[in-house]
Amino acid sequence: MAVGIEKAAPAQLPAAQEGGDNRALGSSSAGRLVSAAGVYGIAVLFLAIGALLQLTGIIRGFLSLQNMLNIVDAAALVGIVATGMAFVTYSGHFADMSVPTTMGFTGYICIELLRFGFLPALAGAIAVGLVIGLVNGYVVGKFKANPIIWTLAVNYVTMGVIRLVWVNKQIYPDMRGSGQDAVALFDGIYRLRFFNLIGLPVVILVVLVVLGQFVMTRTSFGAKLKLTGSSLRAAKFSGINVERMITASFVLTAFTATIGGLAVTSLSRVGAWYNGAGYDFKAVTAIVIGGMTLAGGRGSILGVLGGSLIIGLLNNVLTLLGVGTFSQDMIRGAIFIVVVGINAKSLRSLGRDDA
Amino acid sequence: MRKIGKNGLLSFGDKYRIYILFVAVFAFMSLFAPRFFNVFNVTSILKAISMNACVAIGFTVVMICGQLDLSIGTVITFAGVIALGLQPSLGYLASVAVAIVAGTLVGVLNGLLVAKAKINSFIVTLGTMTILQGAIYELSGGNSISVSSPEAFVISDFLSKSFLPLITPRILISAVLVAVVEFYLRRTRSGRNFYLVGGNRSTAWLAGIRTDRYTIAAFALSGATAAVAGVFSVLESTSATLKLGENSLMYVISATIIGGTAMSGGKGGVLRSVVAIFTLEMLYTGVILFGLGNEVKIFLAGLILAYVVLYEAYATYKHEKSLGQRPELMKELAARKSASA
Repeated sequence: MAVGIEKAAPAQLPAAQEGGDNRALGSSSAGRLVSAAGVYGIAVLFLAIGALLQLTGIIRGFLSLQNMLNIVDAAALVGIVATGMAFVTYSGHFADMSVPTTMGFTGYICIELLRFGFLPALAGAIAVGLVIGLVNGYVVGKFKANPIIWTLAVNYVTMGVIRLVWVNKQIYPDMRGSGQDAVALFDGIYRLRFFNLIGLPVVILVVLVVLGQFVMTRTSFGAKLKLTGSSLRAAKFSGINVERMITASFVLTAFTATIGGLAVTSLSRVGAWYNGAGYDFKAVTAIVIGGMTLAGGRGSILGVLGGSLIIGLLNNVLTLLGVGTFSQDMIRGAIFIVVVGINAKSLRSLGRDDA
Repeated sequence: MRKIGKNGLLSFGDKYRIYILFVAVFAFMSLFAPRFFNVFNVTSILKAISMNACVAIGFTVVMICGQLDLSIGTVITFAGVIALGLQPSLGYLASVAVAIVAGTLVGVLNGLLVAKAKINSFIVTLGTMTILQGAIYELSGGNSISVSSPEAFVISDFLSKSFLPLITPRILISAVLVAVVEFYLRRTRSGRNFYLVGGNRSTAWLAGIRTDRYTIAAFALSGATAAVAGVFSVLESTSATLKLGENSLMYVISATIIGGTAMSGGKGGVLRSVVAIFTLEMLYTGVILFGLGNEVKIFLAGLILAYVVLYEAYATYKHEKSLGQRPELMKELAARKSASA
């Protein structure tokens, strides 16, 4: 069963897991490269390549403060979404495909509610996002629906709701109306900068990563989630409420997708159904490059942060080289498949099949 | 194979669900929807489904194999763009051939990555989907391609004109493909092996079936049928828009699952998927005929998919919950208790 959830028990148990489980992946050198510790090595490698290209005069403007900020800003949006989605991957449920329209939908909700003030709008959007996450988690956790197909279905339903309610229209925050303060605050979600340097999304990302890493490695929730992702059946038989674990992971995804959606909507100043388009794939790529395995139970949030940075760096270098957006898509797709392939290979040599 | 309900009627209903649904929807629409029951409308429904019906052939076989192919939508557009893009320099026959071969190669690549590199099919096809998306825009320059030579209109006319009541050449092509693959899956040994591979991969392997080959073949077929669907679609409309295959994934997944093909593999059929596509298209046509907008149609399509996935998951959940339970013993126990009390 290829798209299913349950996996056979590991044929051989990894050695004692002190100091993270990166070693468990490291049976091949390629596997070690994509595991969480190596991900920052790759990021440094990209930085070096960028610097080299600039020093040899092929690209210009890579090594400037502004460009570094651009990279971090771009990585922040993907990173925010990926941080939440990593919990779904960690729990062994691959990915949440409903992320794109969750992002779009919550953007619409927030703009519509801005007339009641900023905080109610924020709360309303987050509430709607959490409901989507709850539904996803309940159906996948309790009824064991195929996570990909179910979240894809939810993606289409949400898309349908957007089209039905707003009849294919984009909506704009009312910049001159009565609720100007709220609109200004909403505008600031993406544009607020601390010390004129660090954008609010970057701060949000750092907070989310620190929290996520803490939850995943230092709490009993994280430990239970790891077992759920490693073997659903073993987790169930050891008394873990796996349904609640899975639901929680989908709710976390929906929460960060909502935050990401609000940031994107604030950036573009328009509520549109296509606002989150492509973020599902970008997030999965960041997660996978960050060393999290799709079989579940392995990886770290810090790795996912590294994965997001790599995507940002890659896009930046390619853009400076003059490669078009669509060719970048192709390159990203190819890298994605290669990384997953290496990952699957190193897992198989451990006797754990990622199928 | 999973069985739901011990009741004979229930399992009968489950087995023939899609055909019952088809008749019910057809009867309902014929009775109540204005201007539904006439040759012109039914022909236009058949025309509308001939693309997705063709796509569903390969997609269903992939799903029977226990895999998932998310790249079908982009393969349709990819093949369409290639066929019309190369046609000025290569001529029709060669460009169509190149497009179909390209689609098949994408499928073979998917299959190799799934079977040989052992990567999850959802991930592989998500990756190829992204690559193809980029390739489509690079090839077309971001605009839809249209041809307006007299030759193009002759071909378009030929494909869309009924030569028998209800049947145009393009509908016939899809119908023949469906019939051939359905016959192959049901009546030949290698066709039935696809079910074994999807039902239990390791057992199939132990029984001497080369499971990798079947997986690759399924993906190749999926790529090929998606490409054929895309090519004939653009030949009929004389233009390849970049949104050609956009909604196909949703339609085809919904139809395949409604048709009774199991998401875990090993069960289902091509004809069932196609009947389900017909049923869905009747519903959507009905929505338009009742005067509701396109938005309602999109909403309804998503809702139907969600409902079907939920229904299937819930049925499996109930079935698994009842495993190992002996209701007759529980009844006896209750009877004894009430007797002693």
